[in-house]
Amino acid sequence: MSHAAISTHAELDPRLAPPFPKAVLPVLRNPQLRKNVAHAIDVIQAKRAKLVAEKSDWQDLRTAASELRMHALENLGAYLEEFEVRCTAAGGTVHWAADAEEARRIILGLLRQENASEVIKIKTMTSGEIQLNPFLEANGVNAFETDLAEIILQLGELEPSHIVVPALHVNRSQVREIFARRMGRPELSDDPKELTNAARTFLRQKFLSIPTAISGANFLIAETGAVGVVESEGNGRMCLTLPKTMITLAGIEKVLPRFQDLEVTLQLLGRSATGERMNPYTSIWTGVKPGDGPQKFHVVLLDNGRSSILARKTERQTLKCIRCAACMNTCPVYRQTGGHAYGSVYPGPIGAILTPQLMQMKHAQTLPYASSLCGACYEVCPVKINIPQVLLELRSQVVNQERKEAGRIFDPMYLGLRAANLLFARAWIFHTAQWFGKVGLKLFTGKDGWIHWLPSMGGRWTQTRDLRGLPDENFHQWWAKQRGQNKRKEAK
Amino acid sequence: MNSTAPSRERILTSIRNATKDIAVNPADRAAAYATLPRNYIRRGKMNTEAKLALLIERLREYDAEVVETTPAELPAVIKAQLTASGRHYFLAPEGLPSAWMASGFDWKIDRNLETAEIEKAEGVVTAASCGIADSGTIVLHHAANEGRRVVTLLPDWHLLILLASQVVETLPEYFDRCKQSLGIPHLATYISGPSATADIEMTRIKGVHGPRYLAVILVHD
Repeated sequence: MSHAAISTHAELDPRLAPPFPKAVLPVLRNPQLRKNVAHAIDVIQAKRAKLVAEKSDWQDLRTAASELRMHALENLGAYLEEFEVRCTAAGGTVHWAADAEEARRIILGLLRQENASEVIKIKTMTSGEIQLNPFLEANGVNAFETDLAEIILQLGELEPSHIVVPALHVNRSQVREIFARRMGRPELSDDPKELTNAARTFLRQKFLSIPTAISGANFLIAETGAVGVVESEGNGRMCLTLPKTMITLAGIEKVLPRFQDLEVTLQLLGRSATGERMNPYTSIWTGVKPGDGPQKFHVVLLDNGRSSILARKTERQTLKCIRCAACMNTCPVYRQTGGHAYGSVYPGPIGAILTPQLMQMKHAQTLPYASSLCGACYEVCPVKINIPQVLLELRSQVVNQERKEAGRIFDPMYLGLRAANLLFARAWIFHTAQWFGKVGLKLFTGKDGWIHWLPSMGGRWTQTRDLRGLPDENFHQWWAKQRGQNKRKEAK
Repeated sequence: MNSTAPSRERILTSIRNATKDIAVNPADRAAAYATLPRNYIRRGKMNTEAKLALLIERLREYDAEVVETTPAELPAVIKAQLTASGRHYFLAPEGLPSAWMASGFDWKIDRNLETAEIEKAEGVVTAASCGIADSGTIVLHHAANEGRRVVTLLPDWHLLILLASQVVETLPEYFDRCKQSLGIPHLATYISGPSATADIEMTRIKGVHGPRYLAVILVHD
């Protein structure tokens, strides 16, 4: 089968995106964007906090979900095979895609079987991960996003910056401008209600006329072969009900052993994601049902690096994620930068650990450093992913990779670290260096005991903060003196 | 049968290799599953009255209209609700009791109606499988009196008839009922409020694609 090459969106392609410290700069200089992000996050955080507080068994639910997700991962092969058997028995067809390229090819093949030139889509992060839309477009299939935020982004040719509310960086006047231009509705005001209605009208005809749909999956149930999608707007129900053919793209980690396990995850997901006791609509379907909904159903199970994450003991927990976004909402770094700087469809703390691993640690190596390691993400995570622990593990991998690179021999940072290694290894060298440091830095220390300016690379520090001057007496000297005095006291 | 058999083997092999230190044989797996910690609240502690009051509070919080009645009064209350809605043309799932289809309105019974026909209806009346008080959720298993999925989706107004005996307090209680009496559904829709979005500046807007108006009659049976 022939298909056109993919034209990727560089901004969120981890292989092409600039490193995090560089990618944040335009955001930090954009006060409007930062205001939009902070506002959205404040609203979600307040709602989440209120609804989590009313659950007296919240920590028990977290523990249950964490153990349940880990159990599913530890037995992933068996549960996936069980899912495949049940789903197939119920009339579904299961496909396996080892990587993004294969998943795209399978989906395009299915669309060509249906002679589809158009397809409607329920919001799916996994489709962003495999860059499905630009690929379909290049191959003559128009993909229409149906989630309001996704329509805003698609029509505005913008990139998502959050996994639950992907257009949170766009404000109402920007939405108005996009809709007016792309829907040919110059009369629209910036009232969110009016804009939402415009999207409803725009999509209604598409729902009723396009017979093929693509979805993601919030969970796969091994016991029954069922698939579930969690949403708010009803665009998901439309896509799951009206078309003749449904194609679901799901990461292999999405499987839960039994139907009843939803009693745990569904109590956590809505509260963590949007600050609701339960999201407005949850749809669960099992294969096909004659007379109700699509009569052809395909599931594409995507590996794309997941099985190699599974092989690593510390990092394995990354795959417990249920994509609620609580970690990014609480992250002090994400709050300042928004999502684009992470150079992936998965931003925030979970993105900082997931993206480099999905890239087999070949790209996005700056992401494990995009964190202050404060641990807020771990505290809110409904499935208890110890994100700081994984961040540290990935940092050590990045360093181990880097120091093997020939070009690093003269890298100032590594030179500095090697020098530090030498200094710290012997007490007398350390003390001598301290003396030289004290004398040297005296030149730059002000009368207040602070260093306000340093030349050369030291300036990187003093550009944004002051440095305490070295004291006349260090701890070792002070301690030696104290001990001397005590001994003299005892002698008396 | 599928076109991706080599990848299937490749993926399953790499999963098995990745988990060979931890994956267990089928018997042990069932035992491991059975001993997973589940210390969260299973059964609610409320009496029936408090439970129903909580459900009503939750439903009203997200702007669903709720009225209460008795089995004897139900047909009259349905008629009153239909009248109050200001609508005339309603859909009925095939299994809807005929006593619920009040006279004086246009009814279309869904026997595999075409989408275009369903789209014309102004409202739909259905039964439900369960109500969950804690989250204000109404559960449809799409049985004959609950309608096909499309029937409860396209009309702008959805009137649900829920029996008090169908109401549970917690989500785990619903899953227990699935095990005991309802059965594991082939299709299910959990409704917790009308269609809504907060995608524009986190301003909650009701009614995007699903029914914009949700009304519930709670029958004290």
